[in-house]
Amino acid sequence: MTIALATGSVLALTGCSVANTGTSSGADADTVRIVLPIEPTTLEPCDATLSSTGVVVRSNTTEPLIERDPTSGDLEPLLATEWEATGDTEWTFTLRDDVTFSDGTPFNAEAAAFAIDRAVNSDLGCDVEGQMFGDADVALEVVDDTTLKITTEAPDPVLPLRISFIEIGAPTDASAKVREPIGTGPYSVGQWDAGSKLTLNANETYWGDAPAFATAEYQWRSEGTVRAAMVTRGEADLALSLSADDGAGDLGLNYPNNETVALRFSGDIAPLNDIRVRQAINYAIDRTGITDSLYAGASVPADQLVPPGVVGYNDSLKPWEFDLAKAKDLVDAAKADGVPVDEKITIVARADQFPKIAQMTEVLQEQLGQAGLNIEVKIAETSVGLQYQVRPFVLDEGAIAMIVQHGNQAGDASFSTDSYMTSQAQMSMFGSPEFDALLADAATKTGDDRQVAFADALAYERDNLVQFAYIARMSGVIGKSAAVNYEPNSLSGDELRLAEITPAS
Amino acid sequence: MLTFLRRRIVSSALPLLVVVLGVFALARLTGNPASLYLPLNATAEMRANFTAKYGFDDPLLVQMAHYFGGVLRLDFGESLRTGEPAAAMALRAFPATLQLAGTTMLLAVVLAVIVGCWAALKPNGVADRISSFVSMAAASVPDFWLAIMGILVFAITLGWVPTSGVGGATSWILPIATLLLRPFGVLVQIVRGAMVSSLSEPYIKLARSKGASEFRVVTRHALRNAAAPALTVAGDLTVSLVNGAVVVESIFGWPGIGKLMIDSILQRDFAVLQAAVLLTAVSIFILNILIDLGYAGLDARVRPAGRRKKSSRAASVVVAEPKERKIHVQTTP
Repeated sequence: MTIALATGSVLALTGCSVANTGTSSGADADTVRIVLPIEPTTLEPCDATLSSTGVVVRSNTTEPLIERDPTSGDLEPLLATEWEATGDTEWTFTLRDDVTFSDGTPFNAEAAAFAIDRAVNSDLGCDVEGQMFGDADVALEVVDDTTLKITTEAPDPVLPLRISFIEIGAPTDASAKVREPIGTGPYSVGQWDAGSKLTLNANETYWGDAPAFATAEYQWRSEGTVRAAMVTRGEADLALSLSADDGAGDLGLNYPNNETVALRFSGDIAPLNDIRVRQAINYAIDRTGITDSLYAGASVPADQLVPPGVVGYNDSLKPWEFDLAKAKDLVDAAKADGVPVDEKITIVARADQFPKIAQMTEVLQEQLGQAGLNIEVKIAETSVGLQYQVRPFVLDEGAIAMIVQHGNQAGDASFSTDSYMTSQAQMSMFGSPEFDALLADAATKTGDDRQVAFADALAYERDNLVQFAYIARMSGVIGKSAAVNYEPNSLSGDELRLAEITPAS
Repeated sequence: MLTFLRRRIVSSALPLLVVVLGVFALARLTGNPASLYLPLNATAEMRANFTAKYGFDDPLLVQMAHYFGGVLRLDFGESLRTGEPAAAMALRAFPATLQLAGTTMLLAVVLAVIVGCWAALKPNGVADRISSFVSMAAASVPDFWLAIMGILVFAITLGWVPTSGVGGATSWILPIATLLLRPFGVLVQIVRGAMVSSLSEPYIKLARSKGASEFRVVTRHALRNAAAPALTVAGDLTVSLVNGAVVVESIFGWPGIGKLMIDSILQRDFAVLQAAVLLTAVSIFILNILIDLGYAGLDARVRPAGRRKKSSRAASVVVAEPKERKIHVQTTP
């Protein structure tokens, strides 16, 4: 009896509500409910290149000067109405004059300069700085309220593209990051019950068209099956980062997410230091078998690191054909020349990096083994896996073939080659001076010349270096309830624009 | 009583220190978290700045000295992920876990006592066999599978409860049911065993011969003496719930300390991990004291000396301190 009373008391005292959480809003015609795989750690605009932050923040609470059309790749005006190169290293941006931040602070060139300076030149350690600018700083000059000049240290033909990744937050403390920023976007941060739920409210002073939903509610569940179930049960309108097996059924929408999965070789370590071994691996992989059996055809064999639609994509390159006999011949030829092909090659994979990575690793081990190679497998959690993926690398465990997944959301091949292909890139284990020169030359070009130069460089890599075995061009799955209209695009996993979601009826 | 508490506090201080030191050192052996917090293509300079900013380039002993210096000032550091004070994050998450674990254990105990007593009334009878099968199965089912199947059956197929979340009374049902089964299964076995033993004691026969009703015999005579081992096991199970509701919290989106800890481990968020472990360890220490006190209340032989002297029904066996709890079914008639 005492225990029963105690149980009742606990439930009564808690009021059946969990400590430190608000009440659930449930289904509401004015609310769009989105379930994410993880809670954003921050809504800081200069960290919006982090997927978990960007998917909430980008073009929702804050906006950039320019935004990239996810389908065409074209840059389109947003807070800036136009931009032009006004010198070798100088770009001039003309800004809108009818915008205020959600707290009433006017948006002008001064505010834009502050946000860009804070993101690129400060010591805050902003993610966008590392992703888009590296060590290079920019100089900012406020000409008048609507005119901003940006000067780079060296000619940068894709500066507007880089600028499109900087979300403009209201002026704040330049020496500290903000967890809940003020922006110019169609929504502003409402309530954040850490660990439980985040609510955005429509910005009543928004300069553009009002969004269809007055409120957006984000929750997070780590299990894909639970996220899918929330959509099928009507507890959420959109569920992100699903896999085909999560059970969304007809409510699951496939979309190309611009992610390419590849094996990246440690080309300076035997036996991967012989190009014939790297070519043999490419011939030994049955890409169609992998994409059909593991991903039910939702992904396709990959031909190069960047996907179609990215400047520099070479449409003449085709996936390596599956030819086990040729792979064996190449291994035998290398062995005859004294290459120690019996030495182990370790396939390293980061657990849970993408759906069915463990199964893909096992398939690769089997297929490469059939070519006569000694393959071991290591599946590591993220922190350990990054020691193999990023400099200074693990170099004392023999040859490494690392499974990487790379997404080029910027739309220009230089963002891929600078990270994965140049000799000194943070995630490249080898290269060549000739290839570096080709890439450096391509990076200086604009327009069609740029497209041709990068396409040629990618063909050179395939013919002369073989830094990778490209495996699959991946696709994403979003669960969408029948209550809303939304068409996913290649950016949806990183930038889910709430203004594009409308009620179904 | 105060002497007992003082000795328990002193004796628990060293294990607490070892736990925190171990977590501190082991976490740092997993490497510099810079790779997790910086873009993949971050430059060497950015990595060096990050490492220096958070002191990860200091020798381990220096880092440890900084940490314990902060702990003495009740400053447990800041989260690498969110920039919030680590202690605030741990304290915010802990009540949700306590609510979940507390409610689950109370229900488990109530149900286990009912089913265990029912089974013990006729050993090897139909009720006993059914309860044994159910309790063994309940104690063996993995949390992860149970949670997913619960969502599939009761949320998706039948639509009786929400899949997950923390809004409203119905959102408690699946997490509690998932967590409940194992402690329920274990406790049924314990209660049943203790009750079978108690019901065969001479004093039970005496009570029956005096005309006491079966309900009174079970609840006032047998159950009181069978409660001590059940309390001990229930305490240990509560500790494991407070410490280990990770799977359930992750699947159901329950914002508790288990999920906070696992996220902190995966993200190498050292300060939050240390704060969460310390808070959990202190709570378990307090819980153990409460269990000892409850055990002493049920069994006079392990009652602290001061209290024992006041008890007119104390056993003749003199035990100065409750040095350890034992699972046994011997009783004092």
